[in-house]
Amino acid sequence: MSAALLEVRDLRVELKRGKQQLTALDGISFAIAPGEVLGVVGESGAGKSLTGAAIIDLLVPPLKRTGGEIVLSGRHLDALSREDMRKVRGRRIGFIAQDPMTSLNPVLTIGQQLVDTIVTHLPVSKEEARQRAVRWIARVGLSDPARRLDQYPHQLSGGMRQRVVIALALCAEPELVIADEPTTALDVSVQAHVLQVLRDLHEETGVAVMLITHDLGVIAKMADRVAVLYAGRVAEIGPTSEVLRTPRHPYTSGLMRATVAPGLDRKALDPIPGSMPNLSSIPPGCAFNPRCARATAECRSQRPPLVDYRDGAGKHACFHPLEDGR
Amino acid sequence: MSAVPSPATPARPSAVLRLFEAAKGAPGPTLAAIVGILLAAFAFIVPLFAPDPFNLASTSVMDAFTPPMWMADGSKVFPLGTDDQGRNMLTALAFGLRTSLIVGLASVAIGLLVGGALGLTAGFAGGWVDSLIMRVADVQLAYPALLLAMIIDGAARSALGQQRDVKTAIAIVIISIGVAFWVQYARTIRSSVLVERDQDYVAAARVTGRSALGIVVLHILPNVMAPVLVIATINLGVAIITEATLSFLGIGIPLTQPSLGTLIRNGNNFLQSGEWWIAVWPCALLIAFVVSVNVLGDHLRDVFNPRLRGRS
Amino acid sequence: MSAADMLVVDGVSKVFAGEAGFVGKLLGRSGVGTRAVDEVSLTIRRGEMFGLVGESGCGKSTLARMIAGLTPPTQGQIALTGVSGHKPRLQMIFQDPFSSLNGRWTVGRIVAEPIRVHGLREGKAVEARVHELLEHVGLSAADAYKYPQEFSGGQRQRISIARALAGEPDFLVLDEPTSALDVSVQAQILKLLDTLQSELHLTSLFITHNLSIVRLMTDRLAVMYLGRIVEEGPTEQLFRSPRHPYTRLLMDAAPDLDTEDRSLHPIPGDLPKPGTPMPGCRFANRCPRAADLCKAQEPAMTAGEGGERFRCHFPLD
Repeated sequence: MSAALLEVRDLRVELKRGKQQLTALDGISFAIAPGEVLGVVGESGAGKSLTGAAIIDLLVPPLKRTGGEIVLSGRHLDALSREDMRKVRGRRIGFIAQDPMTSLNPVLTIGQQLVDTIVTHLPVSKEEARQRAVRWIARVGLSDPARRLDQYPHQLSGGMRQRVVIALALCAEPELVIADEPTTALDVSVQAHVLQVLRDLHEETGVAVMLITHDLGVIAKMADRVAVLYAGRVAEIGPTSEVLRTPRHPYTSGLMRATVAPGLDRKALDPIPGSMPNLSSIPPGCAFNPRCARATAECRSQRPPLVDYRDGAGKHACFHPLEDGR
Repeated sequence: MSAVPSPATPARPSAVLRLFEAAKGAPGPTLAAIVGILLAAFAFIVPLFAPDPFNLASTSVMDAFTPPMWMADGSKVFPLGTDDQGRNMLTALAFGLRTSLIVGLASVAIGLLVGGALGLTAGFAGGWVDSLIMRVADVQLAYPALLLAMIIDGAARSALGQQRDVKTAIAIVIISIGVAFWVQYARTIRSSVLVERDQDYVAAARVTGRSALGIVVLHILPNVMAPVLVIATINLGVAIITEATLSFLGIGIPLTQPSLGTLIRNGNNFLQSGEWWIAVWPCALLIAFVVSVNVLGDHLRDVFNPRLRGRS
Repeated sequence: MSAADMLVVDGVSKVFAGEAGFVGKLLGRSGVGTRAVDEVSLTIRRGEMFGLVGESGCGKSTLARMIAGLTPPTQGQIALTGVSGHKPRLQMIFQDPFSSLNGRWTVGRIVAEPIRVHGLREGKAVEARVHELLEHVGLSAADAYKYPQEFSGGQRQRISIARALAGEPDFLVLDEPTSALDVSVQAQILKLLDTLQSELHLTSLFITHNLSIVRLMTDRLAVMYLGRIVEEGPTEQLFRSPRHPYTRLLMDAAPDLDTEDRSLHPIPGDLPKPGTPMPGCRFANRCPRAADLCKAQEPAMTAGEGGERFRCHFPLD
């Protein structure tokens, strides 16, 4: 794990609401290897978007990082000043937000935004930047790239806009890109297209991707490894095929059986009872214990640590892990 | 439209406790509320016991221009001094504030009623009804509220001739100010209605077959009241100032009737000659009351701000 | 129209008149109408759950709102037949669990509204019925005295379902009822709807953008694209052998959970803006099978052997 590109250790994010101090992220740890796609999956309130925001220091008050280490290529991001962090953001870590409507500046052309980003982060001339911008537009699969440069975001469809956002995130040649629900706001027919573009660019540039999504289907297709989050904690992390085929944590398994995926039989749909706890009512012990059929007294009183399975291929945080995935 | 199924009150902390909790979180607005309540109590309780200083039988010109009690020549009988007619300033202030409050509250109520009804109708009906009402509102907005109140007041006077009594004069002021402010309520309610009208709960009621009137009264009205009540609170201050201005200019409440406006107008005559207290006390009272109402109104606006809603 | 037909939609269109506006009129522009729904006909039979699938802008929600009587059709007829003499009753369940419940009303009052409006119960019986309904959808009678704000998205959707059932509807419109919910909660609501459907023999229209959900829930299904129904038929058959290329591509586009085969199946091109004039088949510019004929002439609705209908010059086998 020393070769990791990004290492997050025991990340904590808290917020103050009234007199209460609430914990939104409670000791998140994971690593991303160079060129790897790590999927981060969970339901709303699991803390997956917060994890992304915490890494690039984009937490909105009252949310605040209160602990943990974030190391990018051996450099501690958690100790950086605001100014230095701004340089890392964009240059070394790109960001793709969920909503392509709001992540582009509506009063600047596509070209202006790309050229600005390129000259800000890379030592190239404006002319060179413009040529690169044209190439990026072409790389994300937009037709007639030279003309696109002079278009405004509102002249593009949602899917095209999201591809421009991808180009913006990658044009400064970062080592890591954080994609926060990049296809959630898009239609089914457009979603696959955007995922394809992301995959192609990942393969061409070797950029590592942290892909945040609620959609296990997207994880299955895109992620090399996957981290399953629940109530601000990592429930399970490991190779995607391993985790999805033989989940160790009952929550992962429950999530799989509750997912309405293509080809699912009506009888096989099996909801998890209850719902994710609010930040103010996270139960003691394992956060999942009230919804878990395997929970024992131990689960209700002690928090299960993240432990290795199969010699470190993956980790799970469960006292009573599943053996056969069911 | 029958009654709600008898709600068993859910377990909540007692009202007193909740009030205490709320007050701790917002000391400024709490202070404003206390000041406002104390002043209102002063205005409505004192006149029940004290003689009317504007009744000639209860005053003596011999007491005229008595300074406040802590000054030389002051008297304990008149803690805040007396005016040119020998009226006790303390009780005159209570009577004056009472008139101002009645005018303020009544005109806000009229504005709310007229503006509310027109705003609801415009927002829900849409089409030409909406256009008509809102164009009239636009035209009215071209005139400052004060000017409009002066016009209405003047028109009513010339219609009624000179034989109007004090009650009629007050009623005219109330209606003038009330009508001058309906536009704000109408616009606010209309824009809220336009938002609420398209919410799915309204669609659900329509699918169920609820009548348009039922939807407006039972569903939409309760959901658009919050911002309007905020405006009403702030407007209470504005209405009282408008009344004071009208009366100060001599076209509102007649000088024979105490209001903050007439008291200030009267006191203004003696500012140059050194009897400052006749003008300063009603001015101070006006400022204290209006500021406390505004602070309270701003706080309510923050509380009801839809952007902040649902974050608790 | 046979006795089993509950809802008949006949040649229904909806045109949203584009307002040119003051400045637009000054510049000499006239408003352009958008045909959100274009001559749609379909029949829903008693006791079935009928699915309507399509992407955003295809007109499915507009069609639902016309069926629910929330907006009148520009053209065509919608006829709903009741069961026993009374005027047919319709209820609707909405996508957004937050805006669909009046936050100033208690849950009990919300659920009781259709009962009172239709006069289905009197006096004390109303409250008893509300409690019964709340328990039926997996809530408790005590919840009647709370406000919607005290509930999660999934619970609010249960309240919506209880309100719809309270109206004892002949016909139920479900407009993306689980799209705003999390995976585990979505499964709970789908399970509940499935149970209610079989217990109460409801007739319903289930609208969604998610083909997997439609397959799970519905008996028959129609696929919409840019205001038109492009294919319609029994759900299972349609999934086994879709005839319209769009249906096929849509089915493949959603990623499944298979980690072995990681191929993605994007549909080429982008959704055109609604209102874009298209003389031929509306899908022609994105369709891998499109020929010159498709761009020139719109295919008519054709009936297949298995009860399916489709609009395609070159259907799949």
